Amino acid sequence: MDFSFTDEQRMFRETVYRFAREEIAPLCEEADLKSEFSFDIWKKMGEMGLLGLPVPEQYGGQGADFVTCCLAGEAVGHAGVDGGHTLAWGAHTYLCAANIMQHGTEAQKKKYLPKLATGEWIGCMGLTEPGCGSDAAAMTTTAVRKGDKYILNGAKMFITNAPLSQVFVVFATLDKTQRHKGITTFIVEKDFPGISTGKPLHKMGCRCSVTSEVFFEDCEVPVENCLGGEGLGWLIALGGVEWDRSTLLAPFVGGGIFMLENCARYANQRWAFKRPIREFQSIQNRIADMKVYLEASKLAVYRVAASKDNGMALNPLYAGVSKVYMGDKGFEMSSAAVDLFGGYGYIHEYPVERNMRDAKLGQLGGGTSDIMRMIVARIMMM
Amino acid sequence: MNFELNETQKNLQKTMAAFCQKEILPGAAALDESPKDQAVAALRTNLKKLGNAGYLNLLLENDLISHGVAGEEVARACPATFLSAMSTATAFGVPLNRFGTAAQKGKYLSGVTKGEFIGCLACTEMDAGSDLNGIKTTAEKKGDHWVLNGSKYLVTNASIADALLALTWTDRSAGLDKGLTFFIVEKGARGLSPGKPMETMGLRGAPVSEITFDKCEVNSDAVLGGETGRGYEQYLQIMEYVKLAISTLSVGLGMACMEESTRYAKSRKAFGKPIGLFESVGAKLAMMFTYNDLGRMMVSRAAWAMEQKDPESVVLTSCAKLFTSEAANEIADLAMQVQGGHGYLKGTMVERLYRDARFAVIAYGTSEMQRAVIAKDSLDRFKSA
Repeated sequence: MDFSFTDEQRMFRETVYRFAREEIAPLCEEADLKSEFSFDIWKKMGEMGLLGLPVPEQYGGQGADFVTCCLAGEAVGHAGVDGGHTLAWGAHTYLCAANIMQHGTEAQKKKYLPKLATGEWIGCMGLTEPGCGSDAAAMTTTAVRKGDKYILNGAKMFITNAPLSQVFVVFATLDKTQRHKGITTFIVEKDFPGISTGKPLHKMGCRCSVTSEVFFEDCEVPVENCLGGEGLGWLIALGGVEWDRSTLLAPFVGGGIFMLENCARYANQRWAFKRPIREFQSIQNRIADMKVYLEASKLAVYRVAASKDNGMALNPLYAGVSKVYMGDKGFEMSSAAVDLFGGYGYIHEYPVERNMRDAKLGQLGGGTSDIMRMIVARIMMM
Repeated sequence: MNFELNETQKNLQKTMAAFCQKEILPGAAALDESPKDQAVAALRTNLKKLGNAGYLNLLLENDLISHGVAGEEVARACPATFLSAMSTATAFGVPLNRFGTAAQKGKYLSGVTKGEFIGCLACTEMDAGSDLNGIKTTAEKKGDHWVLNGSKYLVTNASIADALLALTWTDRSAGLDKGLTFFIVEKGARGLSPGKPMETMGLRGAPVSEITFDKCEVNSDAVLGGETGRGYEQYLQIMEYVKLAISTLSVGLGMACMEESTRYAKSRKAFGKPIGLFESVGAKLAMMFTYNDLGRMMVSRAAWAMEQKDPESVVLTSCAKLFTSEAANEIADLAMQVQGGHGYLKGTMVERLYRDARFAVIAYGTSEMQRAVIAKDSLDRFKSA
């Protein structure tokens, strides 16, 4: 075992952290208050190379490994960047670009990756529908081959970045009777006929990411835009889990570190009954539990990332463990942070308020905690 | 970065698992139920077996991740045996090995590694646990020997120990940093009287008792490492090993609970299907797996920090101990719930493990103490500005 990062990885994290703290974080509070995606932030992230982090250099990215991608996510969260902008980044880089990078043809990669890597184009992924989430086999969006085109009909729901996107990685079924085996993935461009997006949804947290429904009405997709081949969509979706359980969770780890630091500072500064509140054991207990949660979370996230970097297949149990623990415990800890701040914790100017709303997504996005437990239990019962 | 065990460690895991399931597990229930005198005989046999298997020797070596790998298998088979082995090898053998003089090491360690010579660590007193300032036991120099007075409480292995490490004041006025000293006191020393094993809720196979020093005389070569006043510094280092060991006990115990209730959830049927296929039962299995899996990583992470001599290891061993011991209790509770009435019966594995688990959140620094240590570290980092 070796729990160390390379010098290069550590230095990169430090650089990203400093950059995000100085350049991005100061813009976040106001953006969150307005529930506004900031193109200014996006541009800065692009200039820093974050938006194409895992994309090979030949396609305009940085060619970073999984662990480095996670460290960058952790650093940005740690700097105090809100969950909305990190979510937008995650959906763009790991759900859209990474899928094209892993499953795309040379032509697809050449066409889409360079512009996604810089952030000039924004990307998203559409799997969930108004009527189904983790039960992907119940998908009703259909694709029918007609000559040199596929015709897509249906709708996708809760699609992060959709209203801003030029590129949509979309899952649809060629044959519903084949369930998982009928699912196929397509790269759909904003300008293809028949695709449209709904109004941005008002969310509890992660407010700066723009989320909406996506509609397909006889949407025409050229055959060369099928990603990975007919009937392979379910495998692509499953393959995405390793990004989902590492790089997408990493900003939550960073957000947790940010939260702990804020709580520790506050507990040192705030006085009650003639002493700093850090001397009260109820306050200490919350700080200690946050620290334990963060240590466990780091291990969960970096294990998934490191095993990927070391060329090992993803263990679905490990993926489930990361997600269920970080989701549930993360939200509990974000609530404990609000408690620690008392009335101030309930006020928007204090970052723990935003953090608690953002943390709720950890229990929902990418498969709820309930679903994670079902997956882990199913494997145990085999 | 690599989260995998190396080949040697993987083989160790297999060997120890097979050995413990064959040699230790079958006697675990009897060890719990037997009267203390009978239990002691079985425990001695177990310690010798673990000595022969090389486990006790391994605990004196520097590959701390392997301590966890092998120890988890011992605890998974019998937590009480784990505790007794830990008390002799980790709590007595490790300090001897690390701080002892050549003569002290030569005299005791080979017997300890064989499981023939049993040691124990005596720090806690009736009125002093984590707050060492409350210790009352003293050692006074008289001519060329030392005279110990006082008593130690809740000492695992005390009644069967051939020697113990006792923490005493050699100079009260010098305070914790310079005033405490460990003495090696051998069985039969004049004025040393171990009490009878006390009845405990769990880990009943490991004898716990009081031990009294009444003008107990030891020679000057009984000072651990040969130098007085080093007790506190040594104690802090011993605690890191011990916290790690209790974490390992917790993970092994958790594994046994999870495996037992998973077996049950597969074989027990209700309303036409195995109960584990009901979502509420499955969710409990999933949480048991989650806690064990994360806990095991935290133990390895803390062990690695100790191996690297990373100062963070103080906090990381506390994090591991807090997480795994609380998890073990949660897991034992879930396991009993999965088994319903069956797990509530005396003589079932889960009922025994449920009682055993309670020890882990109390011993060698309660959860409350661990939280205080962990919190202080984080709070101190952000004291100014």
